[in-house]
Amino acid sequence: MPDLIPFAQWLRATPASEWINSSTWVWPLCESLHFMGLSVLIGITGFFDLRLMGFFRRVSVEAARALMPFALVGFAVNVATGLVFLTGLPEQYVSNRVWWFKVAFLALAGLNAGFYETRLSAKVLALDPHGDTPRAAKLVGFVSLVSWFAVLYCGRMLAFIGDAF
Amino acid sequence: MTDLFTSIEGSTLAAWVRESPSIWAYATILTLHTVGLAIVVGANVVVDLRLLGWATAIPLTALRAVFPIMWAGFAINFATGVLLFMADATTKSVQIVFYVKLTCITLALIVARTILKRLRQQDDRLRAFAIASLFLWAGAIVAGRLMAYL
Repeated sequence: MPDLIPFAQWLRATPASEWINSSTWVWPLCESLHFMGLSVLIGITGFFDLRLMGFFRRVSVEAARALMPFALVGFAVNVATGLVFLTGLPEQYVSNRVWWFKVAFLALAGLNAGFYETRLSAKVLALDPHGDTPRAAKLVGFVSLVSWFAVLYCGRMLAFIGDAF
Repeated sequence: MTDLFTSIEGSTLAAWVRESPSIWAYATILTLHTVGLAIVVGANVVVDLRLLGWATAIPLTALRAVFPIMWAGFAINFATGVLLFMADATTKSVQIVFYVKLTCITLALIVARTILKRLRQQDDRLRAFAIASLFLWAGAIVAGRLMAYL
């Protein structure tokens, strides 16, 4: 794990961190938004992932992807609220191994989606829109599904593994 | 009723959920409750957004295939929710937000059942149900989160 403790100590001393910790409602409000964001993100992404894996063939691949802008909104909400948590208690996160696993799975989900969009999407869209998907697309869908649930798992478990909170 | 909740909380199972140092006890049950939440609410979001007129390329009749996933997610959360309640029955049974959460979930499930029934009847005037669904699930999430604070 990179040593971010000096950075975390600096961040914790900022007025923003003070404000987050002194407020009674910022934390529960951001947690609620974080849960809504993850539901939107996982629901919409998971639907597309399942289509890429060959399920829901009555929905064309293109149509299954049509809600993705909402998934990006959910992701943006979770980045914003996640930064609030990080600013509030930076040391608890950067010194927790499970948090780094979460970051790694986020990176994997991102690279996987980037690979699909740049290398695979055009090929898949050229096929029968209601047909089976190629093996590479099935793998992308599976990796996406697993990595997003792993992000959720690590996020929830980091309170119990290691000594955070 | 208080006696009932006291005896539930005192049961071996409730004590295991609450006190076991095992990662498979409280931590895993709580995490599975979040996994189920993502599945239930996420599946509802897909259906609701389509009913509100987004992604019209998704055939309305194809939405019915999403409901089994929704019910599976709910089954996970019903089971884990019962265990989490048992672990702290005396505390949770007197929390107003707990009953707000249960009410939101009950109404949201009735709305989901109604949407499924109307989809089977080829009825697509479901915008009001979709909006109700989104607000009820959001309400359930907020009430659930607040249980840890109030």
